[in-house]
Amino acid sequence: MAQEDHDALYSLLAARGVSRRDFLKFCGSIAAMIGLSEAYVPQIAAAVVSGNKLKPALWLNGGSCSGCTESVAQSDYPDVATIVLDILSINYFETIMMAQGADAEKAAADTIRAGNYIVIYEGTVMTGQDGNTLRIADRTGVEILEEAAKSAEAVIAVGSCAVDGGWVAGRPNSAGGTGVMKHLSDVGIGTPVINLPTCPVNPEWVVALVVDYLVLERLPELDDFARPVGIFGETIHDNCPRRGHFENGEFVSEFGTEEEAMNYCLYKMGCKGPQTFTNCPVVRWNSRSSWCVESGSPCIGCGTVDPISGGDSNWVDMNTPFLNRHRDLPFGDSTVQPTTVGVIAGGAVAAGLAIHGLAVKATGQGKGTSEKKKGGDE
Amino acid sequence: MAQRVVVDPLTRIEGHLRVEVEVDGGVVSDAWISGSLHRGMEAVLKNRRPQDAFYISQRICGVCPISHGHASTMSAESVYGLTIPNGARLVRNIIEGAQFLHSHILWFYTLAALDYVDPTKALEANIADTYALAQAAGTSVSDFGAVQKRLATFIEGGQLSIFSNGWFGHPEYAQDMPAELHLIAVAHYLEALEAQSWATQIIGIMGGKFPHFMTSINGGTSFVPTSQTLDDILFRLLKVVDFVKNTMIPDTLAIAPYYLAATTFGGGVGNYLSWGVFDSESFERSERFLPAGVIKNLEFKVADSVPESVNEYVEHSWYSSPSGLNPSKGETKLDFTEYDTDSKYSWGKAVRYDDMPTEVGPLSRMLIAYVSGVKPVQELIDGTLEALGVPGQPEVLISLLGRLAARNLECAYVADITAGWVSELVEAVKGGNVSLFTPHEVTDGDGVGLWEAPRGSVGHWMSVAGGKIDRYQVVAPTTWNIAPRDADGVRGPMEEALIGVPVIDPEKPLNVVRVARSFDP
Repeated sequence: MAQEDHDALYSLLAARGVSRRDFLKFCGSIAAMIGLSEAYVPQIAAAVVSGNKLKPALWLNGGSCSGCTESVAQSDYPDVATIVLDILSINYFETIMMAQGADAEKAAADTIRAGNYIVIYEGTVMTGQDGNTLRIADRTGVEILEEAAKSAEAVIAVGSCAVDGGWVAGRPNSAGGTGVMKHLSDVGIGTPVINLPTCPVNPEWVVALVVDYLVLERLPELDDFARPVGIFGETIHDNCPRRGHFENGEFVSEFGTEEEAMNYCLYKMGCKGPQTFTNCPVVRWNSRSSWCVESGSPCIGCGTVDPISGGDSNWVDMNTPFLNRHRDLPFGDSTVQPTTVGVIAGGAVAAGLAIHGLAVKATGQGKGTSEKKKGGDE
Repeated sequence: MAQRVVVDPLTRIEGHLRVEVEVDGGVVSDAWISGSLHRGMEAVLKNRRPQDAFYISQRICGVCPISHGHASTMSAESVYGLTIPNGARLVRNIIEGAQFLHSHILWFYTLAALDYVDPTKALEANIADTYALAQAAGTSVSDFGAVQKRLATFIEGGQLSIFSNGWFGHPEYAQDMPAELHLIAVAHYLEALEAQSWATQIIGIMGGKFPHFMTSINGGTSFVPTSQTLDDILFRLLKVVDFVKNTMIPDTLAIAPYYLAATTFGGGVGNYLSWGVFDSESFERSERFLPAGVIKNLEFKVADSVPESVNEYVEHSWYSSPSGLNPSKGETKLDFTEYDTDSKYSWGKAVRYDDMPTEVGPLSRMLIAYVSGVKPVQELIDGTLEALGVPGQPEVLISLLGRLAARNLECAYVADITAGWVSELVEAVKGGNVSLFTPHEVTDGDGVGLWEAPRGSVGHWMSVAGGKIDRYQVVAPTTWNIAPRDADGVRGPMEEALIGVPVIDPEKPLNVVRVARSFDP
């Protein structure tokens, strides 16, 4: 960017009460999250406040609880007002849009007709009862998704429900829930899908991804599950501030104990951190105020996803009972709880963890996180 | 001649809702409300552990997960027959209080305000007059010039984003409301986003994250408060309390006089239920800070509310399971046929209390607290009635405007009592005697958790057999309010509240969506 553009940018920011330092910090954290060098910071800054042409977007709610909308409403930097006024033109956003009824539907139809838009999809794809488990404006939710996705540049599936059906796809899946990627693939729609799991989605990821897309006009590096590698490449366990206690064998074995008050490791309380791939300990939640483990809870693995089969291995089925080390396995109409490592399929997870734990120890990473913990507790 | 008018989807609510009305001679003569989504939570919970239901069932609602989580964990605790320690009571009350504050602020500004405030009118405001008006109204001052400029730039840009196709300039916006007041409200519409997020950060600290929190486990809480975390909580709470007292309440009182016509419609069924919310040390539902109770047929006296009086009918809902069951015996079998207002037209069941359609939510809770003699609530309501020029007439609350006012007044009350619990917890932590968890065994049996979400009464019924959930039924707040007709064809609360609502323009039935949204569905 030329110097005069910089100046224009910062005077615009100043008019909005944002300091240059804060703003660059924000852009820097976005760059880090999506794996870009700091050289991209000015470009990110320019994209965020370009002001002229906003990227059209449709935020569609499938079988949702509106929790991902709520989560994004908690984004503080930029806040949701900046997102909908200055970054994207979200022409359809059921939970907060001004229009209603036919006027709302027309806003979506006009956007689709004009093209060059992205779709952000929240909630489960509802296929049960011929799609009638979700009806909007005399159409099924499935029809609405297909029409919008067909000519979109990309679909961002936000939250575990959109990624693979989420809890709705949990046994017995009576309402026929599945994920966006699986459904679009079933009906032959080839629009790229980006998956941002967890329940709800973390707003920092949505912002990072959208800004990245606006800057580079391409998708970030994705893994086999179409998740951005920069966000979902490491386990919670890898970055957990309580990791030092794990290495030292210091565990909480019951709530209400002294070990709990000392913030010991929650592994024995069923913590799913070792098999859950998100950067929650780093970006944290609710404007970085805390996150699940810091508040005293074992991770329940809400970022566990199965977008390819569309929810056969959704996070609820994979991780319950949450407070046990191993999941209940289906056995006819009922379930069984494996008690010995390696007995049934659950053994694979445990074995994988053991290997991973050894690898971490060999590299000395455990020690490092133990020291980091001390600093982080200040 | 009667004309059918449909609003589908009703936006700015949690979830998906269809509103269909019949308009005759400029007023609504009949109404049908359709819940358009079924996800199958109750079936997902069957065969899982009772302690898992807390984590899963709260995901019914991303706006009120705290309340569902609390109702669920209380239903498990009622199966086990255990009481949580006092420290856990305080932690849960603070988390719940923070959610109420968050939800009511978000509802008033982000969801409802655009039905009463026209952003395009704010462009005509004189900035100096806006400051003068804000000061006269006792509401907080913003950089009104910058807000107006931002709005003008945005509108001139021509990409209206979430404001696309809004009903700008609708004749039912109060025509005598000054442009300066529109601008004040638009400025606070933007600031409210920050205020509500201070409240959810409190939940973040105590519950890990919001929406969907982690710590109100069966037996108490897994959040261990320290003097530092309590500092972090208090600092945020004071910001929220300040916003509620010095922005939200004055805004309400400034705007309400321009909408006094809204005291003449939107009342509804006249039956009100509260399960009670915010436990006191006794853990009795009748002694909660917002106590349990029932008001029937608009008579201002309160009876006990009991779960045995609840039944759910499915004559007009897409289910083939038996009709009229109490949730403790409830069943949920899907059977979509078609949308037909003469037959079945909703995924919502027709839940009834003593076989009567019954409204739940802030209006119900505040009326019940008022009649039950909760002093701070009486003072808040009496003071507001006086300020609006209708002293000693609580019956004006039975209306669209009353439903709005009740919610905002409740927000002021919850701000105060939440600050009280934080102080109590600070003292307890200082004294080193905070008990947070009651160890217990999982036992078999039937239980129910009865509680209140910001939008109304929430009940979770759970049966445990062999250590696993055998039956789980949820009666959510909105299930009460959007209930369709029952076996006798009697309309549900929102349907009934729509009768008599004036409609100037059937293409844009602004008063209809105002009344529907006033329930915070």
